[in-house]
Amino acid sequence: MKIAVCIKQVVTREWQLRVNDQKTWIRDQDASFELNEPDAYALEEALRLKEKHGGEVVVCCAGPARSTQVIREALARGADRAVHVESDALAAADAGTVAAALAEAIAPEQVDLVLTGLQSDDQGFGQVGVILAERLGMPHATIIMEVQAEPGQTSLRVKRELEGGWFQWVGLPMPALLTIQSGINQLRYATLKGIMAAKKKEIRKVTPPAAAPGGPRIASLYFPEKGKKTQIVTGTPAEAAKELVRRLREEARAL
Amino acid sequence: MILVVAEQRDGTLNRASLETIAAAQSTGDAIKIAVLGSGVDAVAQELGKAAASEVIAVDDPALKDYTADGFVMALEQLFAAETPDRVFLPHTYQTRDFAPALAARVTRPLITDCIAVKDGAYVRPMFQGKLQADIAVNDAGPHIATFQIGAYRADAMKAGSAPVRQASVAIDAAKIRQKPEAPFKEAKQAVDLSQAERIVAVGRGIKAQEHVALAQQLAAAMGAELAASRPICDAGWLPMDRQIGSSGQTVAPKLYVALGISGAIQHLVGMKGSRTIVAVNKDPEAPILEIADYGIVGDLFEIVPAMIAALNA
Amino acid sequence: MADRETLDVDILIVGGGPAGMSAALRLAQLQKEKGGEPLAIAVLEKAREAGAHMLSGAVLDPSTLKDLVPDFKERGAPLAADVRRDDIYFLTRSAKFRLPITPPFFRNHGNYIISLNRFVKWLAGLVEAEGIDIFTGFPATEVLFDGGAVAGVRTGDRGIDKHGQRKPTFEPGVDIRAKVTILTDGVRGNLTKSIVRQLGLDEGKSPAVYAIGIKELWEVPAGRTEAGRVVHTMGFPLKMEEFGGGFMYSLPDNLVSLGLVAGLDYKDPMFDPHVAFQHLKRHPLVASVLDGGSLVRYGAKALPEGGWYTIPKTYASGVLIAGDAAGFMNSARLKGIHLAMRTGMLAAETAFDAVRNGDTSEAALKAYDDRVQASAVRAELYPVRNVHQAFGYGTIAGAAFTGLSLVTGGGWIKDPLPAHGGWTRIRKLASYYKDARPDSESTVNPVKIDRQLTFDRLTGVHYSGTRHPEDQPSHLIVHDANICATRCREEYGNPCIRFCPANVYEMVDAGDGTKKLQVNASNCVHCKTCDIMDPYQIIDWVPPEGGGGPHYEGM
Repeated sequence: MKIAVCIKQVVTREWQLRVNDQKTWIRDQDASFELNEPDAYALEEALRLKEKHGGEVVVCCAGPARSTQVIREALARGADRAVHVESDALAAADAGTVAAALAEAIAPEQVDLVLTGLQSDDQGFGQVGVILAERLGMPHATIIMEVQAEPGQTSLRVKRELEGGWFQWVGLPMPALLTIQSGINQLRYATLKGIMAAKKKEIRKVTPPAAAPGGPRIASLYFPEKGKKTQIVTGTPAEAAKELVRRLREEARAL
Repeated sequence: MILVVAEQRDGTLNRASLETIAAAQSTGDAIKIAVLGSGVDAVAQELGKAAASEVIAVDDPALKDYTADGFVMALEQLFAAETPDRVFLPHTYQTRDFAPALAARVTRPLITDCIAVKDGAYVRPMFQGKLQADIAVNDAGPHIATFQIGAYRADAMKAGSAPVRQASVAIDAAKIRQKPEAPFKEAKQAVDLSQAERIVAVGRGIKAQEHVALAQQLAAAMGAELAASRPICDAGWLPMDRQIGSSGQTVAPKLYVALGISGAIQHLVGMKGSRTIVAVNKDPEAPILEIADYGIVGDLFEIVPAMIAALNA
Repeated sequence: MADRETLDVDILIVGGGPAGMSAALRLAQLQKEKGGEPLAIAVLEKAREAGAHMLSGAVLDPSTLKDLVPDFKERGAPLAADVRRDDIYFLTRSAKFRLPITPPFFRNHGNYIISLNRFVKWLAGLVEAEGIDIFTGFPATEVLFDGGAVAGVRTGDRGIDKHGQRKPTFEPGVDIRAKVTILTDGVRGNLTKSIVRQLGLDEGKSPAVYAIGIKELWEVPAGRTEAGRVVHTMGFPLKMEEFGGGFMYSLPDNLVSLGLVAGLDYKDPMFDPHVAFQHLKRHPLVASVLDGGSLVRYGAKALPEGGWYTIPKTYASGVLIAGDAAGFMNSARLKGIHLAMRTGMLAAETAFDAVRNGDTSEAALKAYDDRVQASAVRAELYPVRNVHQAFGYGTIAGAAFTGLSLVTGGGWIKDPLPAHGGWTRIRKLASYYKDARPDSESTVNPVKIDRQLTFDRLTGVHYSGTRHPEDQPSHLIVHDANICATRCREEYGNPCIRFCPANVYEMVDAGDGTKKLQVNASNCVHCKTCDIMDPYQIIDWVPPEGGGGPHYEGM
């Protein structure tokens, strides 16, 4: 089974965010980066499928030069080789541009399955995977909790997460694309041997396609303002409680 | 004209659709509402009670069970037929499954998870809610936007009388690649607090394990989930999956009530995105009061029972 | 279940700080100079990325850097600012007195203010460019022996849950066998601590003494201070009997690095270094700089203060010890980075020769000690060998002795001056406070926490970026937690809740009217203060699962 996994390098979750001067992105020089968390679960799922069914796992990354950090990490965990669509502009690009870049990397690979994380921890649009499926002409399913693939068969059965504790199994033919939910498996550690072997694994560089103009862009990035002042509700406990409930119902409409 | 695509399942309207209609109405533009499925007449009539120019019922047996392929095919045709300037949808699990495919099919921009429309730009969270972005669409042509559940209020939707029209689409069922089985409910092992609309959280001020029950009663009276700050979970008074904060879950519900929680920064980062924050604490200097919308400084053991009484009155 | 991995290298460096990185770089240089069969070299670092656990003031003496990387400027060494102005103040609660003359020890002309985190990241880049593997996220937990000789290290297991059970992702630690292991695991390094004990390397030496350094990085309003300004303080908030002082260094881009160093040999069991640091910030000298600014980062680390006589035997069969792990710090100048780098280089040279000659015995590795004795390291450290111990007689005596050292060459009637492990000097509550015994949960000399200038510990922990996966055993081993609620509470008032800068230790209600110790291991910033200072010496700091710990960006 040949599986492509799309990974993205994002700023670490604890990174103290500051907006750049143009207010179009965060200040990320000297920032700390990591593999986008849902992508880590997608990678783990791919590695498990390979262990079960044989085949190859190719990681694909569309991003600036520094993305090699997460590519190496994926190779250290067990991916066989990588494709890097390298461009600084891809760091904060819109979903359409990123999906086009990834399609460029994956199309020649003739894969059976493409796995992506359901969304990125930075922009969080949740679109790249599905747009990529459309570009590759593959059927897709999103927010997947479990993947059942039978050896020799050409279709999958996958478990989608729905609202409020509901789930649904869906069958789809391969090749297919799935966007993977976080937490569906336990991530393996990169072993020392894996880290050393990763240095010798192939990273094929690809130039990104010319960016299509007119995609959505970040006009302004800022910290949400808590403009409201705290209203301290006074009185005896009974009075204050009653008044609070009233305000929650009528003013805040939170009840 | 804004085309609002409402969501229904088995003849029940997803109320988030009403929020999306309210979002569309807030722009002042003309609105049409569409609903897809099979046997959706009753839902369409319900939608007809909104102030819109018409409700389009796209009724087709191939759309009985939701599939990404089926919905994209149908909406692609509707898009061509109606030529909307914008398409608005609620940001549900289902929408997340097909909207990007529709956007790619019609080669139009899509902005997801919006909380407001502001002078032609869309406001949406980024970096897991720590930042907000105004997304501008530079394209003169139509675009698609999905709206975060709860960003607009369903009761803010203006009522009216919209005629219902049946629209037919040509769907080649053989081209639908997804084969869905019936959805089912599973008892989830871990509580997903990020789905809760209201949360009551307890901190050290609750003093003893037996008092957690009081918070549970308030939660029940409010229709809220119970959660806690770290020390409560460390002490074993509530399970770890109820923890809010940097080492627990990050939530942004409509209502967050913090009882006896001082507001250590580790806790605040997990909940400060909540729409309305209420804090009850006996310490007037507690940091949580700085970020609360409403605060009561006092003894939670007197205030909480009074709140329960007021809620049940 | 995975089998235990093994790896064979020629030289293993344990700890990726300035000493370890300098050793690695020097080895690469020696390979190029001398040619021959390439040596297999590896560096182990417990942090998730190089530099993440590095914290220091810091004012760097560039002497070693110039030797190690002569073209350091062209190669982009991140030397944030040249020292332009050097001031020392004696503080009282509200006043400041500037010393009219800067004592020679404190003259920093020709030195650079740096961020150690950035500096080590840069060094790591140079090391990796030489093709040497730096394995981040791999702490060494055990020394491996072959007969009596050190044969390498074992790294920590991964994938154990908080009850000690193996998770499905369990990976046993790796056995890395090396002909020479260079231990550069930092101040109170866990492997150095264990091997010194095991091989009796501190026999005949003075007991090690330490200080805690608590540091914050601030962004202040523009124009508030000029880059290159170095300020050191003595006096307030420390008592005359307490060793230490404050520092404030101005960096470019309106950043200020400031902190308090307090000797971990204080007598007052109620002393709280974190509270003392908040007091320092409220002093007009510091507050006038920070006012209106914002806290960027917080952290803490111990410093090896003891000096020359506390340095253990730094070599044994198959092993060398360099840097802070051995205690190579000049406590008179408050500088150790250049000494860590120098001893790292000397250890590298010795290890290289030993491996090439096929003799890594103790006799062969003694050449390291010979090199250190003949080097600038001894020339610098020997004259100040009694300085910290002189402060044991109070600040005035200490300062006087230090000044006198310039003339006397550091000797005294008693040489070495009597020295004690810092934890032995802490006095019991009853003896120190007599009838005015404070409640152990109280703060003597409290400070207002306003969350603008002063912050509580937990907020500091947030700003340290410290993160540990929650589901793992606690890495603070308290060998007898029963002492805490009973004997320690009575005798010392649980000083751990005060000397830990990260709120790891708390005395909480046990539910039956008594208290018990709660260890919030995931707050730990790896400063080692608890391992050093607990009065019963029953706390062992062991490395948590690899990758966990603070993220000292810019520190």
